[in-house]
Amino acid sequence: MNFATLIMAARGMPLGLWVMVLLMLCSVTVLFSGQRTNEDAVRLWVFSPTHRDLYNPMLDRAGAEVGVPLDMRLMSILAIERRMMSGFFSGLPTADLIECERAIVGRAFVGPLEAVGFLDLTDRLREEGLLDQINAPSFGPWTSRGRIFGIPHDVHPVMLAYRADLVEQAGIDLSDVETWQDFFRAMRPLMGESTNPQRYILGFWYTHLDNVEVLLLQGGDGLFDDQDRPTIATQSNAHILAEIVSWCVGPNRVAADIEDFSGTGHQQRIDGYGIAYLAPDWMCSIWKEQIPQIGGKMKIMPLPAFHPGGRRTSVRGGTMLGIARDSHQIEEAWKHAKLLYTSPQVARQMYQLTDIITPVSSLWNDPVFDEPDPFFMDQPKGRMYIDQAPHVPARSSSPYNRQAVVLLRDAAVSLAEHARRTRTYDSQALQPEAFRLLSDVESKILRVMERNAFSGAVR
Amino acid sequence: MNLGRRSSKPSQHAVWVFLAPFALLTLVFVAYPLIQSAVLAMQQTYGPGTKTFVGTRNFTDAAADPVFWTALRNTIIYTLGSLFIQLPLALALALALNSPRLRGRSGYRLIFFSPQLMGLVFVSILAALMFEKQAGLINQSLHTLTGGLWSLDFPWLESHVMATLILISLWMYVGFNMIYFLAALQNVDHALIEASAIDGANSWHRFRHVVLPAIRPVGTFVVMLSMIGSLQLFELPFVLLEGTGGPRNQGLTVVMYLYQSGFEVGDLGYASAIGWVLALLLMSLACVQMWMIRREGR
Repeated sequence: MNFATLIMAARGMPLGLWVMVLLMLCSVTVLFSGQRTNEDAVRLWVFSPTHRDLYNPMLDRAGAEVGVPLDMRLMSILAIERRMMSGFFSGLPTADLIECERAIVGRAFVGPLEAVGFLDLTDRLREEGLLDQINAPSFGPWTSRGRIFGIPHDVHPVMLAYRADLVEQAGIDLSDVETWQDFFRAMRPLMGESTNPQRYILGFWYTHLDNVEVLLLQGGDGLFDDQDRPTIATQSNAHILAEIVSWCVGPNRVAADIEDFSGTGHQQRIDGYGIAYLAPDWMCSIWKEQIPQIGGKMKIMPLPAFHPGGRRTSVRGGTMLGIARDSHQIEEAWKHAKLLYTSPQVARQMYQLTDIITPVSSLWNDPVFDEPDPFFMDQPKGRMYIDQAPHVPARSSSPYNRQAVVLLRDAAVSLAEHARRTRTYDSQALQPEAFRLLSDVESKILRVMERNAFSGAVR
Repeated sequence: MNLGRRSSKPSQHAVWVFLAPFALLTLVFVAYPLIQSAVLAMQQTYGPGTKTFVGTRNFTDAAADPVFWTALRNTIIYTLGSLFIQLPLALALALALNSPRLRGRSGYRLIFFSPQLMGLVFVSILAALMFEKQAGLINQSLHTLTGGLWSLDFPWLESHVMATLILISLWMYVGFNMIYFLAALQNVDHALIEASAIDGANSWHRFRHVVLPAIRPVGTFVVMLSMIGSLQLFELPFVLLEGTGGPRNQGLTVVMYLYQSGFEVGDLGYASAIGWVLALLLMSLACVQMWMIRREGR
C-alpha cells in the first residue's frame, strides 16, 4: 500500500472514525507529555494534601542540604496502599520514602520479618539518638516484633472537647472532674429532666469503631500487647465495654450517635445536640475548617479517667515515614526523612496548619504551642495536648488490629442488645456478659492469627 | 470475478491471525489468572516470593469458618429477597405501566428506571444518608407519618442491616427488572388475550394462563440474572457499611469476605479458595439456567 492509497482511504473515512483517531492522538499526547520523574531524585509518596503543602516550601532547602532533590507525589491513601504492597510483593519499584497511615500499614507486617518491604530503622534511630528524642509511645504502630520500620509523624493525644458556652451558661464547673462518673454527674443538668432530651452529654456511640478503640486504649489493656498477642479478654476491657454501653442504652443514657465526619454530625454539634466529643489533636483543624460556627464556643480538657488516678488521655490515628527496603538511595532517603520529620520549622508549621503536635519531644518548648487558640476560647491548646503526649497508651502494629476493632464493635452491639433485652443498664451488672463477649472476640482473632503460616512471633 | 472464490477458501493462516488477538487476550487475562487462582487457593502467600503449599487447607478452613457461613447465609437471604420481593414488584410495576389506560407511562418508566442511571456507589452513599438516625429521610418521614411514634433513633444500619440492604436494592433494581418484563409484556400476542376474554377468562386467568406463559422465557432470564447478580453483591454493603460487614457481620456478603480476606488481611490463598467456592456456586446455577432454557425450548 503506497502513500496515495492511504490518502484515498483516509478521504473515505466516516466522521466518527476521524473523531476516534483524534481522541486517540490526544490521549497519546497527554500520556507522553505527563510530568517526567527525575530519576536521580528521592521519590516521596504522601497521601495528605496538608502534608504536601507543609513539605512544599522545604523541598528546595532539603534538596540543597542532602544534595539530591526530593520528588514528592500526592496520592490517595488507597493508591499508596495498593502500589506499596504490589511493589513490596513483586520487587517492582515504589517510592524511596512512603508516608503511611496506621490503618494501612498493618498489611506490610503480615509476613516474615525479613520480607517486610520497609527498611528496618531500629539501629539508625538508636545510633542517631532519635529513639530518645521522639515520644516513645509514638513508635508503637510502626514496630513489629521489636523492630521499628518508620519515623513517627505525630503523637495524636486525645482530649475531651466540649461546648463551653453551654456548660458555662448552665453554671457547671468542670475543674474538679477526674473520672467519667464525675463528668456525667456534673454535666447531667444540661440534659434536663425530659425523658426525650434534645441534648446529650457525649457525642459517642458504641458502633463508632475508632472511638471504642480509643477508650479501650485509655483503659490500658488495649487489644494487643507489645508482642502482638491479643489482650482483648481482660477484666479491665470488660469493665470499659460495659461502661461505654451503659452510656448509650437505657432510660438514663447520656450519649448520642453523632458521627465524626458527616454533615449531620456537624449540624448536631452546631445545634448543641451533643456537648462533648473525643478530640485527637488533628480533629481540631477539621472542626476549624468544616464547622467554624462552633469556633469560640469550645474548650478542651483531659479525658476523664475510668477510675481515680487513671490515664487522662488516649490516642487515635497516626502516620509514619518509612524507607522502602529496595530503595537505591537509602542514605539520601534517610537524610530527607530526618529533615522532614525532625525539623523545627516543619514541626511549627505542622501545628499552625494542622493542629498536630510533633512527636519530637525536644521541639515541644517552641512558644507556638503556648499561643492562645481563639477557637478554644483562647486556651493554650498545643500545650494542653503536649502535657498529655507522654501519657498516650502504647499501641500495636498488629495486622489483625482492624479485625479486632471490628469484632469489638460487634461485641458492643451484642452487649447493647443484651442490655435492652434484659433491661440491665448498670455497667457492673453488664460486666460478666461483656467479658464473655470479649472472650469470644479473642478466640475469633486467635483463629484468624493461627492461619498465618509465616510469622510465629505474630501469633 | 474471482473474489467470491478467494473468500470461500480462507487460508488457515488467516484464521489464526484473526483469532490471535482474542486468543492472546483470553490466555493472558482469563486462562492464566484462572489457573493461577486455582494454584493460589492451595497456597498461603505473602507476595509471590513468600509462599507455602497448604493443599486443601484453605477450603477446609472456609468450611469451618463461621464468618464464611455468615457471609454465605447473608448472601442467600439477600438473593431470596431479590427473587421473592424485588422481581414480583418489578412484574407488578411492569403490568401497571403496560396498561394503556395509564397516562404518562413514559414518565413513570423513566422515574422507576432512573436509579440505574446513578450507579450503585452513588445510590449507596445516598442511602447511607437516608437511613441515618435522627436526620435521615427515612426516620424523619416515618416519625412524621406516625405522629412521633416512630423513633428517630431507629437503628437501620445497626440492627436491621439486611432489611436495609434489600430495601435499597428494591429502589435500585425494581425499575431495571421492570424494563425486561415490560419488553416481554409488549410482545404478548393481544389476539390471544382478546380470545381468552371472549371465552370468559377473568383478568387473573388471563394473566395466569396467557400472559405468564408468554413472558416465561424472559422471566427465567431475569431470575437467573438477579440470582447471579445478588450472589456477587459487593459495592452496596461495602460503601454503606464503610468497608466492614456491619455490626455482627449482618451485611457481610461472600464477595465482601473474599475482599476482606485477600486485600485487608492479605491472605490471598484463602480469598482464592472463597472465590472458587463462589464460582462453583455460580456455575451450578448457570447449569440450572441452561437446563431450564432447554426445557423451555422443548
